[in-house]
Amino acid sequence: MINLAYKDIRHTLSKFLVTAMGVGMLLGIVLIMIGVYRGMADDARMLLRDINADLWVVQQQTLGPFAESSRLHQDTQDILRALDGVDKTAALTLQNIQLYNRQQQAVRVMAVGFDPAGDFQIIPAQRILAGRSLRAQHFEMVVTDKTGFQLGEQIALGRDTYHVVGVVQGSVSSSGDPLVYISLKDAQNVQFSYSNPRIRNDRARGLLGQNTQLVNTVVAKVRPGYSAQEVAEQIETWKHLTAYTHEQQATILSRNVIERSSKQIGLFTAILVLVSGIIIGLIIYTMTLEKIKEISIMKLIGIPSRMVVKMIMQETLLLGAIAFVFGNIFAHLIYAQFPKRVVLMWNDSLLLFAIILTASFLASLVGVYKVMKADPASAIGG
Amino acid sequence: MSTGIRIENLQKTYGQGDNAVEVIKGACFEVQRGELAALIAPSGAGKSTLLMMIGCVLEPSGGEIWLGDTQVYADRWTTKDARTIRREKIGFIFQAHYLIPFLNVLENVSLLPQTNKEPEALIRKRATQLLDYLGLGEKLYAMPSDLSGGQNQRVAIARALATEPQIILADEPTAALDIERAHSVAKLLRQIAKEQQVAIIMVTHDERLLPYCDKILKINEGKIDTSQVESDQVI
Ligand SMILES: Nc1ncnc2c1ncn2[C@@H]1O[C@H](COP(=O)(O)OP(=O)(O)O)[C@@H](O)[C@H]1O
Ligand SMILES: [Mg+2]
Repeated sequence: MINLAYKDIRHTLSKFLVTAMGVGMLLGIVLIMIGVYRGMADDARMLLRDINADLWVVQQQTLGPFAESSRLHQDTQDILRALDGVDKTAALTLQNIQLYNRQQQAVRVMAVGFDPAGDFQIIPAQRILAGRSLRAQHFEMVVTDKTGFQLGEQIALGRDTYHVVGVVQGSVSSSGDPLVYISLKDAQNVQFSYSNPRIRNDRARGLLGQNTQLVNTVVAKVRPGYSAQEVAEQIETWKHLTAYTHEQQATILSRNVIERSSKQIGLFTAILVLVSGIIIGLIIYTMTLEKIKEISIMKLIGIPSRMVVKMIMQETLLLGAIAFVFGNIFAHLIYAQFPKRVVLMWNDSLLLFAIILTASFLASLVGVYKVMKADPASAIGG
Repeated sequence: MSTGIRIENLQKTYGQGDNAVEVIKGACFEVQRGELAALIAPSGAGKSTLLMMIGCVLEPSGGEIWLGDTQVYADRWTTKDARTIRREKIGFIFQAHYLIPFLNVLENVSLLPQTNKEPEALIRKRATQLLDYLGLGEKLYAMPSDLSGGQNQRVAIARALATEPQIILADEPTAALDIERAHSVAKLLRQIAKEQQVAIIMVTHDERLLPYCDKILKINEGKIDTSQVESDQVI
C-alpha cells in the first residue's frame, strides 16, 4: 500500500524541511525558556546545597535569609550549639554588594560572610579551582570564577582593600549573582557599621552603643540520631527564633524567591507552545488547501476519506517530530550563549515532544475538517 | 449483451422554491456493456449533472438508476456507501487528467486497486499491461508534471481502467486535447468498450467524434433523445 504522506512529503521535501526548521527554531526557543527556568531553579538552591545545613535559624517569623531579610545576634550560634542534638553551627551574613574590577566596571555580587576559624565548612572543597578558603579574620576574599577576578588580585571594598586568596567555580546566589566569600567580621563591618557622620548623629539623638554583632542566619548540623524537625521545634519553642529544615528552606526558595519568575517563564512558554501549535495548524491547513482539488478528485473516484485523513495526520505528526528534532539541535547549539545558566533536560524535552505531538494532532484536525467537507461533486465544476 | 447503465425517469432540480432550476426532467436511457455512448448537448444543458448522478456523486431529485444488475437509486440511494460503488464499479475520466501530482504514473494507476485490497502482484501486472497498452510502457516512474497533456490523459484513462470497472463515465475527456489526440482517445475508448465489455458514456462537444460511438444520447429540454449511430458510419 502506498503511503501517501511519505510520497507527498518527498515530492515537496525542501519546502517541508524548511517549514519544519522554522517551527523547530520556535520549539528551540521554548526549550531554552524551560532551560532558563531550570537554571534559575537550580541556581536558587545552589547555596543551600553547598552549605548543606540541617537547620536554618533566622529572625523570628521571617522567611530569611533568602526570601526575607533576617537579623539575629551572633551569640545565637553559641546558644544553639549548647542545645541537645545540635552538632555544629555557623553564623552567616548575606549581602549584595558592588565591586569594581580593574577596568572600573561594576560587578554585582552576593557576599557571604562566615567565620574562617569555624568548624562548619561553608565553601565545599570541590568548588575550589585555585588558591584556598579563607584563613585570616580580615581582608581576604574568595571569589567565583564568573566575577572575572583573578587569584592574587586586590579589590577595594569600603575603606579597605581585600586580597583574593581563592577562586571557586560557578557559585551563585538565589538570584543568580556570583558569590564572593569574606570573613564574618569584615562582612559585619560592611553591613552593620555606620559612617562617622551617622554615628555622630545617633549619639546626638541619644542612641548609644551600636551593636555590630549581628548576623543574618545561623546554620546548624544536627547530631546523628536526632531529627532536624524535632530540633527545629525545640528551637522555636524556647528561643524566640524561627528554624527551618533544609527541605523547608528549599520550599521557601522555590515558593517565594523564584515563584514569580517561574510563573513568568511558564506563561511565556505556554504562549510559545500555543503559537507553535497554531503555526503548525496553519501550515497543515494551507498544505491541505493546496491539495484540495486532488483531494476532491480522490474522494470522487472512490478513495476513502480515512486514507486522506491518515495522510494529513501523518504529515502533521511528522512535521511536529522533525520540528522537534530541529528544535533540540537549535537549542543545544545556542544555549551556551545565554548570560544566565540554561539547563537543558531530556525530561523537559520529552514532555515538550508529547505536547507538540498533541498540539500537532489537534492542528491537523483543521486540515481533516477541510478534507471531510471537500465536495467531490465540486471537483469537476463547470 | 447485458445492461451496463439504465436510468428511468431521472430528475434533478437545483435549488428550492423560487430559485429552483429543473435541469433534468425525467431522463430515460440504457447503455449496454460493450457500448460507447456519446452524451451531447449545449453547455449548461446538464451533461455533467447527469453523469455525476449516474456516478453516485450527486443525488438525483427522483427516478431510478441501475448499474449492472444493481439498482443504486430508487427515489433515494439504496446504499449508504456510494463511494465503494464508485471505487469498485465505475471509472471516471475528466477534461483535466486530475492525477495526483506527488505520485508517479504507476502509483497513480495502482492507488484505487490497492484501496480495493487486490493482490499487489496482480495490481502491478495489470497496471503495467494497461500502461503498455496505452503506449506509456516507458513512463511508469515518470511524475505527471514530466508528461504532456495527452500522455497524462492516457494515464488518467489507465487509472479509470485499473479496477476493471463495468462502467466508465468520461466528462469531456477530449476537450483539452488537439483533434488528433481527441480522435485517438475516442478510438481508444471504443476499443476498451468492445474488448473489456465496459459501458462507456463519453460527454463531448465534438461532432467529429460521434462516428466512434454506438449510440448518441442528446439532452433535449431535460429529457434524453437516443439515436443509434449507423453501423456504416463506424470507423
Ligand atoms: N450546484 C449547482 N447549483 C445550482 N445550479 C447548478 C449547480 N450545478 C450546475 N448547475 C446548473 O445546472 C445546469 C447544468 O449544469 P452542468 O450539468 O454542469 O451542464 P453541462 O455539463 O452540460 O455544461 C446549468 O445551468 C448550471 O448552471
Ligand atoms: Mg459539464
